[in-house]
Amino acid sequence: MSGHGASSLAHWAERIRAAAAGRSHLRLRGGGSKDFYGCGPDAGNPDTLGTRDYAGIVAYEPTELVVTARCGTPLAELEAVLAEQGQSLAFEPPHFGSEATVGGCVAAGLSGPRRAQAGALRDFVLGVKMLDGNGDLLTFGGQVMKNVAGYDVPRLLAGSLGTLGLIAEVSLKVLPLPVAEHTLRFELAQQEALDLLNRWGGRPLPISASAWRGDALHVRFSGAAAAVGAAANSLVGLGGQPVAAAEASAFWHSLREQTHAFFAGDAPLWRLAVPSTTPVLAVDGMRSDAQLVEWGGAQRWLRGEGDHAAAIRALATEAGGHATLFRGDAATRASSGAFQPLSAPLLRLHRNLKAAFDPRGVFNPGRLYPEF
Amino acid sequence: MQTHLADFIEGTPEGREADTILRSCVHCGFCTATCPTYQLLGDELDGPRGRIYLIKQMLEGRPVSRLTQVHLDRCLSCRSCETTCPSGVNYHRLLDIGRGVVERCVPRPMAEKAMRFLLREALPRPWLFGAAVKLGRWMRPLLPPALADKVPATPGEGAGAWPKAAAHKRRMIVLAGCVQPALAPDTNAAAARVLDKLGIALFEAAGAGCCGALRYHLDAHERALADMRRLIDAWWPHVDSEQFGGIEAIVMTASGCGAHVRDFGALLGHDPVYAGKAARISALTRDISEVLDAEREGLAALLGEAGAGTGPEVSFHSPCTLQHGQKVRGVVESLLAVAGYRLSPVAGAHLCCGSAGTYSITQPALSTRLRDNKLAALGAGSPAVFATANVGCQTHLQSGTATPVRHWIELIDERLNG
Amino acid sequence: MSIDNEIGAPRCVVGRRQLIAQLRTVLPPHCLLIEEEELRPYECDGLTAYRQLPSLVALPENEAQAQAALEICAALNAPVVPRGAATGLSGGAMPHRDGVVVSLAKLKRIVKLDPLARTAVVQPGVRNLAVSEAAAPYGLYYAPDPSSQIACTIGGNVAENSGGVHCLKYGLTVHNVLRVRGLTVDGEIVEFGNAALDAPGYDLLALMNGSEGMLALITEVTVKLTPKPELAQVVLASFDEVTKAGDAVAGIIAAGIIPAGLEMMDKKATHAVEPYVNAGYDMDAEAILLCESDGTPEEVAEEIARMKAVLEHSGASGIRVSQNEAERLKFWAGRKAAFPAVGRITPDYLCMDGTIPRKNLARMLVAIAEMEVRYGLRCANVFHAGDGNLHPLIMYDANVPGQLDLATAFGAEILELSVELGGTITGEHGVGIEKIGQMCAQFSPDELDLFRRLKRAFDPGGLLNPGKAIPAAARCREYRLTRGAAPLAGSVR
Ligand SMILES: Cc1cc2nc3c(=O)[nH]c(=O)nc-3n(C[C@H](O)[C@H](O)[C@H](O)COP(=O)(O)OP(=O)(O)OC[C@H]3O[C@@H](n4cnc5c(N)ncnc54)[C@H](O)[C@@H]3O)c2cc1C
Ligand code: SF4
Ligand code: SF4
Repeated sequence: MSGHGASSLAHWAERIRAAAAGRSHLRLRGGGSKDFYGCGPDAGNPDTLGTRDYAGIVAYEPTELVVTARCGTPLAELEAVLAEQGQSLAFEPPHFGSEATVGGCVAAGLSGPRRAQAGALRDFVLGVKMLDGNGDLLTFGGQVMKNVAGYDVPRLLAGSLGTLGLIAEVSLKVLPLPVAEHTLRFELAQQEALDLLNRWGGRPLPISASAWRGDALHVRFSGAAAAVGAAANSLVGLGGQPVAAAEASAFWHSLREQTHAFFAGDAPLWRLAVPSTTPVLAVDGMRSDAQLVEWGGAQRWLRGEGDHAAAIRALATEAGGHATLFRGDAATRASSGAFQPLSAPLLRLHRNLKAAFDPRGVFNPGRLYPEF
Repeated sequence: MQTHLADFIEGTPEGREADTILRSCVHCGFCTATCPTYQLLGDELDGPRGRIYLIKQMLEGRPVSRLTQVHLDRCLSCRSCETTCPSGVNYHRLLDIGRGVVERCVPRPMAEKAMRFLLREALPRPWLFGAAVKLGRWMRPLLPPALADKVPATPGEGAGAWPKAAAHKRRMIVLAGCVQPALAPDTNAAAARVLDKLGIALFEAAGAGCCGALRYHLDAHERALADMRRLIDAWWPHVDSEQFGGIEAIVMTASGCGAHVRDFGALLGHDPVYAGKAARISALTRDISEVLDAEREGLAALLGEAGAGTGPEVSFHSPCTLQHGQKVRGVVESLLAVAGYRLSPVAGAHLCCGSAGTYSITQPALSTRLRDNKLAALGAGSPAVFATANVGCQTHLQSGTATPVRHWIELIDERLNG
Repeated sequence: MSIDNEIGAPRCVVGRRQLIAQLRTVLPPHCLLIEEEELRPYECDGLTAYRQLPSLVALPENEAQAQAALEICAALNAPVVPRGAATGLSGGAMPHRDGVVVSLAKLKRIVKLDPLARTAVVQPGVRNLAVSEAAAPYGLYYAPDPSSQIACTIGGNVAENSGGVHCLKYGLTVHNVLRVRGLTVDGEIVEFGNAALDAPGYDLLALMNGSEGMLALITEVTVKLTPKPELAQVVLASFDEVTKAGDAVAGIIAAGIIPAGLEMMDKKATHAVEPYVNAGYDMDAEAILLCESDGTPEEVAEEIARMKAVLEHSGASGIRVSQNEAERLKFWAGRKAAFPAVGRITPDYLCMDGTIPRKNLARMLVAIAEMEVRYGLRCANVFHAGDGNLHPLIMYDANVPGQLDLATAFGAEILELSVELGGTITGEHGVGIEKIGQMCAQFSPDELDLFRRLKRAFDPGGLLNPGKAIPAAARCREYRLTRGAAPLAGSVR
């Protein structure tokens, strides 16, 4: 653990105050594994404030189901420590590289294959220690499971992409690793897969992940050995083929880390969050087979060359959801924005909140939306 | 809750009782969830917790007006709130006390006065009410809808034969009641036939009349107490005397009366002459379902083949006075099942049908909404017949549906004797 | 800089007559209460120790009326206090002297229930239990189940981020809500979240949960529905010492079990509740634990066996397992009615809501027993033990002068100890008006100032539920003077 914790926080506070006074900007950066995510990080020519030095697990009591770590702690290290105790971050955060840090993970707010069942990253954030745009060190939330004292700032910071403040330390809820896991593979067209997933969703099955791609649906079951076995058996009759453990684990890992072949290449990658019952999506001019479905139908990945931003966003809105340009070249990100545009009242609230946390606009200008 | 009762009531028996009840309420609001009027209107003032508060401020000496009266009038006295209340708040007693005070303080508009007078005077008199029903049936097309609905379009089927009296050693009195003989004349006869098969003689005592519930709930407390004393006098010789051989129980076939008679002990508790007798009467009182429940084995034996789950489908509306007032729950349903009827499930079974004594006449709009909701719930499974356990509910429900609404004891009677 | 938005802060006193005249143009006559006689029953929520007569009560019947009423209030600078079922236990819905209580109780329609997508769109006045009842025919239910679920509304649940006896495994309100539609202070319609997961931008949906009616007026909520487990069973364990029960709780979690529910009641609580439910609780036990397991029959059997082993090891003096669904529901009915049932043994109680690390449960129980002696007041203990969420019920008699003050001091001491033990002053009931002083103990001046700035981002004029949850700087200065307390937790500096 870094012995220079307090001094580096003080040093950062100093830099933040100086930037605020000089009306300059800071780009908060952990391991840089998610540099691609969000709008261009370069608006306002910021200096970079790297957080990797402020690392280490501050407190971990497995019986309390909570871990507290500094922002620069490598995500891999944290997960290894949890695994030693038979625990894990149940939302399976993507790392996107070995440099990923805990702070960056929380700021990006991304969740992996288990999200539909276990919940999103923000559901596991219990407390934060942060530096706001005035350089004040503030603590919100805590290490207990339930806490409604004051507004829920910790969850607000999750996914804020560093635009509200510097997450210095975070407390996360952890859960026991599932005792057993089992994956089945079904040969199905996308619509059939969607229908099945939604029907299964209404039954108390221990489904912990699902993915449809290229006429195959993978479904993972997790939980007590008895439950997983029974559930898997009940679905084998529908044509499910068991997938060997090692192969299954590699498959889910490739989705979580986007190392799966689907994600290879430079074509823009769109993430659509839609109601799980939304029928197969079709975008004019995009290949209909360049799709990957996760989260029981609630997350659809689309790939395709060319500028389809307007059509995709309209499609997502129509379905009652939203679309993110997850990966794309800087030009497309600049022209279409990474995230679905906000309604007028929401944009106003976002600006106001940004001003409340970071009155001088020091942090990551434009990273979330070009407007702030 | 904190209380500071005003001088006019503090220290009186009523005041002490009210204070105890008020203080037992912790204002959790659970009761609002099962209160029919709150569920319809969504105003705190139309739910039990709000009414308790209205009564509290009145007893604390704050000015009271028509505004309070309106919300207390809207209460059905269904006591669903009491069933829900974990703190054991004796709401209906507090309401009675509160209504009494409002009645003294707040004058009513003329039309309302006249209507309440009529109800108070006509309904409790069987001879007058019976005549009125006959007259009403004839004049039905001319009556305002609020009243016309209450008058059955066709006469109830005449009372079937009572079994030959006295052959049995076991004897019970049944209350004839005030409106039942005119509106549902066969109910008591059916009860008598069923009990006869079980070896129990059932008879009506002469000179009994109305139990006083009607007047009591129209806030004519003194007149009601007189009714109650008269009834006690009529029954007492049978209760007390060797000469008549004594009786096992006083049986109620209208749960509305049952709930009230069970309260005699409390209501006449301060009466030096009648307190003891009233308590005895209350203790002897049984709903017909409780009597039958105790004879369940005999009944099952008698029904034999009939009890094989082959009967028609029926949905049961448990009157508030049965499930909340007398806290008899699930008994009728299981007896009907013993007799082979198939019960169709009823949503919101704890809710009042809107009959509630004279409520259907004093609050026609709310009453009709409650009735229609109840009929929809009863009819959800399309049963052939609706059953209930109180004549008021029976005629009220019947006024909104073509499906026959019967007293459940008649259904048992049919399986036994039909 | 700090912004003072508490009661008593100078504000333009509203022309009441003008307010009435304008509200009458947008609300039907029976939806606006103006006479003191009608207003009085609205003076408090489930916490009767704090009361304030409102200026007016508005009961809109639809969103448009609510919107119009809000616009008028904003224009006339009148405070607005949202109200659901008023089962709140922190005075969150306590009115403002110059303000309009806006009750959402008439907005009680389930707008849409989609069994395939497992979502329900409901108006804010829909009762929590009504959602589960509507979903039941599809084998679904709404997971968060506050003990007040029979009566409390979804709007109130979101505003408080309510928990329930099953939230250890199934999450709090914030984990089970997909979308909140609401009105900003000046009546603008705004949607937080949507029918899909993880909406873009800041997580304002999460922020709305637990915002105590201070950021927006909620007019519609989309909730997630959960499939009912195939089987659920409860283990009822008795203990002859309260501290043993506390240790057993930590033991179960340590064994890697996440029970569907893990609740504790002490003897005073079981004795109050048993006459109401006849649940068959062990009346001799000093404390009982209710541990629920759910899932497939095989899973439940396996987990129950593991739980029993831990309970026995922790010294349980008796163990019973629910034999059927009726019995299971009875066991829970007793727990859920525990607060009001305590009304049978005391005229009044204050319900605390501190949350602490589970390992400190036994320590807290010992401390509370000591405080009972020192304050001369009894305290029944009902805990969401699995979450470390305590509900000590401090019994007092409001008619005895001085007892409320004693009870309040007793409660304050429990809350401060909660913070000291690494916890928080409120796990699920909210700060409201009740715990506003203790906020000064849990948060530093800078932290409180950020809360005030956040509030101002939504409500610059401070009209939405003013005086709740976030203390003014002046209050905290006074609090620290009188209690002689530095911030107990908070920042490292
Ligand atoms: C016996 C009892 C047991 C309880 N058990 C639990 C429990 O197990 N878990 C738990 O978490 N809580 C519990 N509570 C507390 C309470 O029931 C919850 O806080 C509940 O969510 C409040 O809902 P309500 O509809 O009554 O809201 P209210 O009390 O009316 O209001 C609560 C807060 O929400 C705001 N509000 C209400 N509606 C809206 C709206 N539409 N828009 C914006 N703001 C709004 C109000 O301004 C207020 O600040 C219990 C209460 C009682 C009396
Ligand atoms: S349920 Fe009982 S204690 Fe609670 S408010 Fe109603 S009457 Fe009062
Ligand atoms: S008696 Fe019935 S109508 Fe009256 S307050 Fe109680 S539940 Fe409501």
